[in-house]
This record gives sequence, C-alpha cells and structure tokens, in this order.
Amino acid sequence: MTLIAIAEQALNGLIISTFYALIALGIALIFGVLRIVNFAHGELYMLGGYACYMAVTLLGLPPVFGVVFAVILLMAAGMAIERTLIRPIHAGKVDRPDEYAIMITFALSVLLLNLANSVFGPWPQRPRPIFRGIVEFGELIIPGDRLAAASVGALLIAGLMLVLRFTWMGKAVRAVSQDRQAAETFGINITRTSMLAFGAGAALAGAAGALIGPVFNVVPPMGIVPAIKAYIVVVLGGLGSIPGAVVGALILGQVESFATILIPDTTRALAYKDAYGLAVLILVLLVRPQGLFGKRERRA
Amino acid sequence: MPTQLDISNLSKNFGGLRALGGIDLAVDTGELVGLIGPNGSGKTTLLNIIGGYYDASGGSITLDGHRIDGMAPSRLARLGIGRSFQVTKVFKRLTVLENMLVGALADWGLSRRAAEAKARAVLETLTLTRLADQPASSLSGGQAKLLEFGRIMMLDPRIVLLDEPFGGVHPELKRFMYDTIRTWNAAGATIILISHDMGSIFGLCRRVVTLSSGSIIADGDPEAVRNDPAVLEAYLGDHHAA
Amino acid sequence: MSGLTLLQKGILAVLVLALVLPYVGLQDYWLYTLTIGLYYAMLASSWSLLVGYVGRISFAQAAMSGLGAYVAVLTGQLLDLPVLPALAAGVAVAGLFGLFIGWLTLRLHGAYLGLTTIAFGEILRIAVTAEYDITQGSRGLTAPPLWQGAGPVAYYYVFLAAAVGSVLLMLALLRSRVGLFFQAIREDEDGTASLGVNVTLWKALAFAASTAFAGLAGGLYAHFVQLITPSMMSLQEMGYILAMAVIGGFSNVVHAALGGVILQGLLQVLRELGEWRLAIFGAVAILMLRFAPNGLFGSLDAFLRRRR
Repeated sequence: MTLIAIAEQALNGLIISTFYALIALGIALIFGVLRIVNFAHGELYMLGGYACYMAVTLLGLPPVFGVVFAVILLMAAGMAIERTLIRPIHAGKVDRPDEYAIMITFALSVLLLNLANSVFGPWPQRPRPIFRGIVEFGELIIPGDRLAAASVGALLIAGLMLVLRFTWMGKAVRAVSQDRQAAETFGINITRTSMLAFGAGAALAGAAGALIGPVFNVVPPMGIVPAIKAYIVVVLGGLGSIPGAVVGALILGQVESFATILIPDTTRALAYKDAYGLAVLILVLLVRPQGLFGKRERRA
Repeated sequence: MPTQLDISNLSKNFGGLRALGGIDLAVDTGELVGLIGPNGSGKTTLLNIIGGYYDASGGSITLDGHRIDGMAPSRLARLGIGRSFQVTKVFKRLTVLENMLVGALADWGLSRRAAEAKARAVLETLTLTRLADQPASSLSGGQAKLLEFGRIMMLDPRIVLLDEPFGGVHPELKRFMYDTIRTWNAAGATIILISHDMGSIFGLCRRVVTLSSGSIIADGDPEAVRNDPAVLEAYLGDHHAA
Repeated sequence: MSGLTLLQKGILAVLVLALVLPYVGLQDYWLYTLTIGLYYAMLASSWSLLVGYVGRISFAQAAMSGLGAYVAVLTGQLLDLPVLPALAAGVAVAGLFGLFIGWLTLRLHGAYLGLTTIAFGEILRIAVTAEYDITQGSRGLTAPPLWQGAGPVAYYYVFLAAAVGSVLLMLALLRSRVGLFFQAIREDEDGTASLGVNVTLWKALAFAASTAFAGLAGGLYAHFVQLITPSMMSLQEMGYILAMAVIGGFSNVVHAALGGVILQGLLQVLRELGEWRLAIFGAVAILMLRFAPNGLFGSLDAFLRRRR
C-alpha cells in the first residue's frame, strides 16, 4: 500500500469518525443525564436529514441554514419527547422503568420511521450539500461535500465540549451525569437539565443528519445503520462518557476504514464491514461493560 | 457440639480495598450468633461470602467438613443455608403464596400440592394467611420482612443468615420476629444475625462476634463483649448504638 | 365453563370461529392475511415469554425467526432433508443460538442486554446477506411448499395449529414451577437465587425456549411465502413484533399473540391508509406503554374482572 493510499484511508476514517462522534455524543449525553439508551436516536438523525431537505430543497435556503433549521427543530422535538415520554420515568410514574425506557424509545423509532415514510415517501432525497466538488492536497483527493460536512461536524463537537466545560448549563449536565443525587442537593434543577440534555442530544443527531444527509441520501431508514454505529461507539468509550464517545468514534472510523482494505477477499470484507463493530460491541459488553475508558457503572 | 460452619482465614478485597482480612470463625450446630460492628466493618460482606454472593479473595469455608466457598447462592440454599436481605427482596408482582412457593418448588422432589400445603401452614404461623393471594407489593415493610422469614422457613434451613431483619420494624412485630428466631433455633437451626439494634442482639444471642475494619476484635458471650474495651473503642467515633 | 373469565370465554369463541373460518366463504386473500397474522402471533408471544415473564429484553427475535427459516430451507436443500426434519433443525438451531446468547449475556441487564441482542441479530442478518453463495443474499432464497399442492386453507390450518400449539406449550411451561421461577427471576434475581433456584440455568433456558418458538415460526413462514430475504431479520421487523406484543399486552403470551393476529389483520383492513398504518401502530404502542402497560387485552381483562 502506498503512503498516499494509507493517508487517504486514514482521512476517510477521520471523516467517518466525525460523523459517528456527532451521533454518539447525543446518545452519551442523554445516557449520562437520564440513564437511558435512546433507541430512537437513529430516527432523530433521520429527521435532521429531512429538516435539511425541507429548508434547502423545499424552501431554497442556503445549505448552512439546513443545519441550523435541523438543530432548532430537533432540539424542540427532543425536549418534547423528554417532557412527554421520558420524564414519567423519573417522576416515578412508571412501574418498570428500565423496561419502559427501552421499549418506549424503540416504539418511538417505529413511529418516526413510518411517519417519515408516510409524509416524505420512501424515495431518496438529495438536498444541496454545503460544498460541492473535490479538494486536493497534493496527490490526496477528497470529495468536498464530505470534508465540508465533517469540518462543520468537528466544529460542532468542539463547540459542545466548550459548552460542557465552561458554561453553567454544561456544568449542570456534567454534575448530573456524575452524581444525580449530589447534583440535586447542590441545587441543580434535575428536571430542567434532563430536558436540556435530551434536547441537546436530539439536536446533535439532527445536525448530524442535516450534514450527512446531503452527502449520502435522505431516506426514512437512513438512521438505522448510523445509530448502530453510534451504539458501538458509546459502548466502546463507556456509556455516558463524552470523551469516551469521541475516542470510540476515532477508533471505529479507523478500524472500519482499514479493515476493508486489509482483508484480502475484498467483496466479502466489504459485505461484513458493518459486522466488525458489532462484534466489538458484544466483546466489550461481555468483557468490560464499562467500556474502554469508563468507570464501573451500575446496571442500566 | 461439632463445628458446623468453619470459616478459616477468609479475606476479601474490593479492588485495592481490604474489606475482610483473615477471618477465622467456627460456628457449632444450633448456635445463635450475633454479628456486630460499626458501619463498613465487613458484616454484610462476610454474610454475602457465606451465602455465595461474593467470591472470597482467600481462605475457606466448610459446612460439615465440606468446602462450600465459591458455590452459587442457589446451591447453598439447597444445602440448607437460608438468608434474608437488608433491603427485602420480595417478588412484588407475585402473590404472597407464590413468594412462599418459589423456594419449596426449587426442590423438584416436592409436589406443588405438598408445597402449597406447607406454605399455607407457614403463613398461618406468620399470621399472613389472609394476605396469601394478595400481590406482595401490597405488603407493609414489616410484613415484607415477615414474608422473607416465611420464604426462608420453606427451605427448612440448617443455617439462617439474617441481615438487619429488624430495620424499620414495629416493636410488636419485632417481638414476634424474636419468637420466630428462637423457635427456629430451638428446632436446631444455626443462626447468624447482623443487627445495629443492640437490644435485639443482646436479648437474643448467646454469642456475639464483633467485627471492626474487616477483622474480628471480640468473640464471646454478650456480657463479655459488652464490657470489652476494644469493642467500645471500635464504636467510638461511630455512632453509639442503642 | 364457570371457571373461565369473560375474556377467556371470548378467546375460546374466537378460536372456534377461527376453526370454521375457511368454510364461511372467506376469500383466500383474507386467509393469507390471517396466516401471516398467525406467524406474527407466534413471534409476539414467544417474545413476550422472555420479556414479559423473565424480564429479559431481546431485540433478536426477528433475527431468530430468520435463522429458523434459513436453516429449515437450507438443510432441506443441501442435506435433502424432508420438510418436517428440516423444520425441526431450524427450531433446534434457533434454540441453541438462543441458549448461547442467553448464557453469554447472563450478567447483562436492561439497555446493555438490548444492545447486545441487537448486535447478535444484526450480525446474523449481515452474515445471511453476505454469504450470497449459500443464501442468495438479498435476492432471496426460494423455499418449497410445505407439501406439493398445499393450498391457502391447508396453510391456514397448519399455522393455526402451530400458533395455538405454541401458545399452549408456553402456557403449560408458565403454569409449571418453571413459570414461577421465571417470574421470580424477573422480580429479583438475587432473591430468587437465595431460595435455591438455579437462576443462571433458567435465564439461559428461557432465552432458548423463546428463540426456539421464533425458529419454528420462521421455518413455517419460509415454506408458506416460499421466498425469504434477510429483511425478515431486520430491526424494522423487530419493531413491528414489539408493537404487536405491546399493543396486545406483552405481560401475557395469549394477549401478545392476539396482538399479532389483530395488527396484521388491521394492516390489511386499513390498506388505504398506506404507510400511515405503521406510524399509527407505533403511536398506539407508545400510548399503550405509557398509559396501559398491560396492553389492550390486559386492560380489557382487568376491566372485565372489576365489573364482575
């Protein structure tokens, strides 16, 4: 393999990692604060893609506004979902909270996917991307739409890190993630923080959908595979860990990128590409359920 | 009397933390042993190792001369070691009667009819008969503790491990529980009782073992332990239990 | 029939009706729909056996049905097995795979278990898609009919017998002491172990039982539709099974089975609604989980009991 080919694979992996991280961070954020895995996360991502489609294709707005629109819309949707479906868990209104949380988010994914099928139809849409054409770094050639989407994604991730680190809201989110009870005694409004966390997690998924949708396609089932990748990423990094999600995404992106070219039988390697990460997920959960970096976690 | 339960040089580490260090404790058949000690002294850890919930880091436990450390809780239960939990573990969505049946039916030699007759008889002695067909979720805290007692009785245990059975229990019910424990004991069961309630411990037990920081610091009859300066020392700084 | 509740009498009446349906002039189209509904009844009830009684979540039920289907067809094709032994092979492989998953995941709970079962199911689906030489991948694998000349009425009765038989077997298991162990495990594993019940064994076996029934459903389905694709193992398919069980009532295998038949029937009745039907089912499942966790029939049952 030439140096250029290696660099190309590494960069491809990095771009994919950014996408994975964007989706995974939302799951991690939600799990951290609410202690639930959102099984509808892929469908929130899909809605982000359609938000972008509506803004860019139907309303003719510039692509960047597609992302902004998706963030706002999904933030609102996420907060509404938290308010109506998730809050009852923590208000003690549900008999078997663990089971309920898993099944209600899974049912939500059924609803959202088929809602999109009904409203938008099963046909793929392709809103205009932020940037078209190719970018050349010497001999290295990269599709511009991917690079632009990943760059915006990376900016969003950096922004999220800063918000979590330095703002009062971010501190509240981190405090609740670490110790719900202690956070409450220190006067943090758990209810508001929970709603905010779910909203922010959904907004991240929406942003990811709006950024990646134009690169690939916007279709109702578009969220299924990315969501599974994101589950792998968060499990790898330790459920609920924000830095873990970023590192997990970097690992998965590279592993997938190189595994496909290192395995001799290429067609087969490609066919099994999505299975490697799943095997990693099973292995991590069985051997080290707290993830590579997380600390021991109580049952979820 | 012969040694029934022999704990020898038992230790337990959690990560780098030493919870138990070299416990030696021999309990004879039919003894009623109180296990006391400040919070975090290792009482529940010891009970959890005897019951098979934790693996020991070192040492051994034998029951009638046979090694039992490392056995699964279910196997130990079938060998006749029954236990209660600090926070009751009743099956809330099952009826009181069904709660009673689980342990009896784990013995495949016992028919359902026989198990049910036995369960009803035990419920009668516990004055829970009228609640037999109610879901266990409807029980009060004290009644749940009683139900846990009943479930242990269904096992015909030779050894009973009780972890804080009197916590939050009404005084009248507490007296009833004393009687139950004494009846078990009189019928030949060995009992190891953890309690913060010193009145109960000294009223019931003929032998009191004191744990502090994972080691036994006193072991003897209640009077001796009560006046042992080392025991007082261990409790100083902790709360003075009533 | 004085020992039966009103709901049980209703279910018996439905069963009797089901037996005579082909002779009251029902079109083949509706027999076909009901047959598929009975397939889903088996999947929804076997899923609720695990989730509702043992408290173990699984998102691999559709994949297990697919496993049973592919094994049944492929053993028939490659080993020249007759249909019945091939079906049995499908059941056995699905059951053993369930035992394997159940044993591996003994220490996992809740969402962690959910994620692991998703991973197992997806790996299976990907493998079936990838091994094109054997499975024909997403082009689909053709399966022979159950027997030459089997018509809609015959299939309907086979599926009716299989579904009712499966549910009766599950009920027998649940009425036995094993059923009590299952529910005790659901309520509290440590407490159950402290009473001498081998929690490890029953948790693994419950998984195996649930997936074995799914394997049977899948095998029969393959010989009915006669063309199977990996999409029968998808998470979307799993979503429908979940919605059916939840709407019928996942804490009771009979209620879950009824949910499967009724939802599949409604899918055909409400054809003009197009894709909206599935969106509505999703919404109803959410409402059920939130406000009537015992499902349609569980709530109906409770309502009828209270009125008496």
